[in-house]
Amino acid sequence: MKDIALHTEGLTKHYGDVKALIELDLDVHRGEVFGFLGPNGAGKTTTIRTVMDEIRPTAGHASILGMDCHKQSVEIRRHIGYLPSDLALYPNLTGKDTLTYFANLRGGVEWSYVDELAERLGAQLDKKVGDLSSGNRQKVGVIQAFMNRPQLLIMDEPSSGLDPLVQREFQTMMREVVGQGASVFLSSHTLSEVQRVADRVGIIRHGKLIANETVSGLRAKGLRKVELELDAHPQAAVLEAVPGVRDVLIEDRRVQLSYEGTMDALLKTVTDKYGLVDISTQEADLEEVFLTYYHDEAVTL
Amino acid sequence: MLTTVFSKSLLDRWRGAAITVVSLSVLLLFAMAAYRDLDISIYTDLPASLQSLIGIPEDADVASLAYSAIYNSYGAMALGGLAIAMGAGYIAGEERAGTLGVLLGNPKSRTGVLVSKTAALLLIIGLGGVVLWGAGALAPQLLDVNIAGLQVGAYTLHLVMNTLVYGFLALAIGAWTGKYGLAVAASAGVMVISFFAVGLLPLVDALAGFAKFFPWYYLSGSEPLLNGVDWAHIAILSVAIAALFAAALIGINRRDLRGRSTGRSLIDALRENPVSAQVADRLAGSARVSRIWVKTASEHQGLLFVVAAAMFLVMGVLMGPIYTSIDTVLLDLGESLPDSMLAFFGGGDLTTPEGYYQIETLGLVAPIAVMVVTILLGAKAVAGEEADRTMGLLLANPVSRSRVLAEKTVPMVLFGGAVGLATFAGIAAGNAISGLGMSYLNILATSVLLTLIGLLFGALALLVSAATGSVRTGAVVAAGLAVVAHVVNALAELSDAGWGALSPFHYYLGSDPMINGMNWTDAGILTAITLVLLALAFPAFNRRDLRQHG
Repeated sequence: MKDIALHTEGLTKHYGDVKALIELDLDVHRGEVFGFLGPNGAGKTTTIRTVMDEIRPTAGHASILGMDCHKQSVEIRRHIGYLPSDLALYPNLTGKDTLTYFANLRGGVEWSYVDELAERLGAQLDKKVGDLSSGNRQKVGVIQAFMNRPQLLIMDEPSSGLDPLVQREFQTMMREVVGQGASVFLSSHTLSEVQRVADRVGIIRHGKLIANETVSGLRAKGLRKVELELDAHPQAAVLEAVPGVRDVLIEDRRVQLSYEGTMDALLKTVTDKYGLVDISTQEADLEEVFLTYYHDEAVTL
Repeated sequence: MLTTVFSKSLLDRWRGAAITVVSLSVLLLFAMAAYRDLDISIYTDLPASLQSLIGIPEDADVASLAYSAIYNSYGAMALGGLAIAMGAGYIAGEERAGTLGVLLGNPKSRTGVLVSKTAALLLIIGLGGVVLWGAGALAPQLLDVNIAGLQVGAYTLHLVMNTLVYGFLALAIGAWTGKYGLAVAASAGVMVISFFAVGLLPLVDALAGFAKFFPWYYLSGSEPLLNGVDWAHIAILSVAIAALFAAALIGINRRDLRGRSTGRSLIDALRENPVSAQVADRLAGSARVSRIWVKTASEHQGLLFVVAAAMFLVMGVLMGPIYTSIDTVLLDLGESLPDSMLAFFGGGDLTTPEGYYQIETLGLVAPIAVMVVTILLGAKAVAGEEADRTMGLLLANPVSRSRVLAEKTVPMVLFGGAVGLATFAGIAAGNAISGLGMSYLNILATSVLLTLIGLLFGALALLVSAATGSVRTGAVVAAGLAVVAHVVNALAELSDAGWGALSPFHYYLGSDPMINGMNWTDAGILTAITLVLLALAFPAFNRRDLRQHG
């Protein structure tokens, strides 16, 4: 268990008849960014609120850094940083006041580190939080999550409202703390962000974990985008007959398709029937993998 | 139903209005039933000056007593409060919430929005008046009370017009400044001042004429219940309403809209000024956020200041000189005043300064003052952070739920004590200034009991809101039970029934602490109940899921 930062076992949460979370088994290792992906309402926030002891599971249990999420929640919170979704702060306090308040509750923080974080994110700490734009408010939330140098960062949709430059800096910060041995549990529906920073990814839908893999493993599923230019107008049926081909789009002599498998079979069929003028292939991004998974799940569910 | 600004404005407010008006109708029925069964000569034998103060018309009978109680005081205040909340909320409230910008993003002019919302205000208050009129006509039929010669319709018309003045005042101030708090406070202030002015000014011959400058005068000044509609008075109120609407129309069109904002306090200005920055920063910044309870206390210091100052100055210090200036009148009155009426104000002997303070300050106003503070702080203690969605972040720090609850209880106890202390200091000062010869120790004992009864209901609000996560539920349950407890105690005192002991209020003034000094048993009982309620709040809060949205 020493190398496990967050562990859930059969974690289940029902709200009356609504099953918000169904037997979730999850491990976040030390020294990794774990991307927790899913559409709105899939159960991401319910998972996070349960491990934070804000709500109590109907069944199953969770532990953080080897400690029970309910029984040892206070001790756990000494070692973690938390950024809730849809962040709300105290509007009448300035950013500095807010951080001072939380620092006092923690028994002090390294202020030089806070200043460094503020500078990197370009945060305005002397203004009242209520007068800040949502992005600038979010920066205060990011700083309070990082400022005690936590062993585990739990962040729910942390990039919302941040502009692209700040998002990039924020992602760099995540990789840095992970490089120093901390872990990050990152809930998101922004696939590109997870793809950029996460080592592993879990996909949740309707309260169930439907995939749990490394980002490189997901990519290695081999789903790629292929563009062909032929010397004649091809027949869609011919291409669709090749195993692993899907989403065929034909525009005069140009073909776009998604392809899973070795190139060999596809090329053989194409060159048998037509002359191949040009070909380009591209590794599918997580978004397509994600949609593909969902597509399959939707069929099997 | 959300088709127009008008219908949405109606929908937003109809529920509160319906509850208010139906409650008032029920109260009217109860009042009439109560007066029917009482010997009302005890009221009609009162001197004319006192009748005017409590709003009893000359030649009062059962029905007119009931109508006056509801239409001229409680009912008019409640309806006025409703109109003020609507008037302030409709423009300034939407600005504070940050929704006015979105609303005006649609092809709808500011004037159009104002007119739609004004129409909703008129309709709701108008319908409220119609319901009260109906209740006023129905009640005597149900109870078989004779109302020959009484013009209920005329009285309700005056009531509605008087109410609209305060609603439109709030609308105008809100439209002109965009400040919701200012609109509510200023309009409510004007309403309360004019209620008292119209009740008190006529008692002094030289000042009687000034009553005409207050809108309340046009509600009851012409005695519409007996004399029918006074069209001249209605016209005056109409002109005032029209002028306020015009002001609102100009106000909303001439200025920049406010975004969602936090407002600027004096301490903010001091922090920005380089000269005072260092000191102010220490006060407002690092000191304020040093602990959970300090931060919570600092958020409610404005409320404490207003309540404590009012108790000290008005209900404490001022009452002394007032007593000495009217004590001869009171001596004459002492015998003739009905116990039934005095019981509701805490009971007491009007001819002694102790009894006078008990009725004027300690019986009703002081418990209300201390409970406003304790119930509000109790109800908001943890449920307030949940409503503001900050509880999750607060509890992400290494503090247990029990510690948060315990620290949140501290300001309630301190502030309840502070209101008690202000009341003690005020009465003690009044005692010293006017040489009333009351025992300071007894005043202190009574103030301690006052704090304890306030804390009991504050603890109840804290328990209910900690168990449910709802500020509103906690506040409503505690305030509602406090009213019931007060009424039960007052009725029990009248009939010398033993069941008064069931009401916590029995342990507050039941032993006449202003005369007899501290009753340690009563203090112990109040403290014990409070501690039990507080103790129950901990498991209740620890066990449940936190609310995500208020």
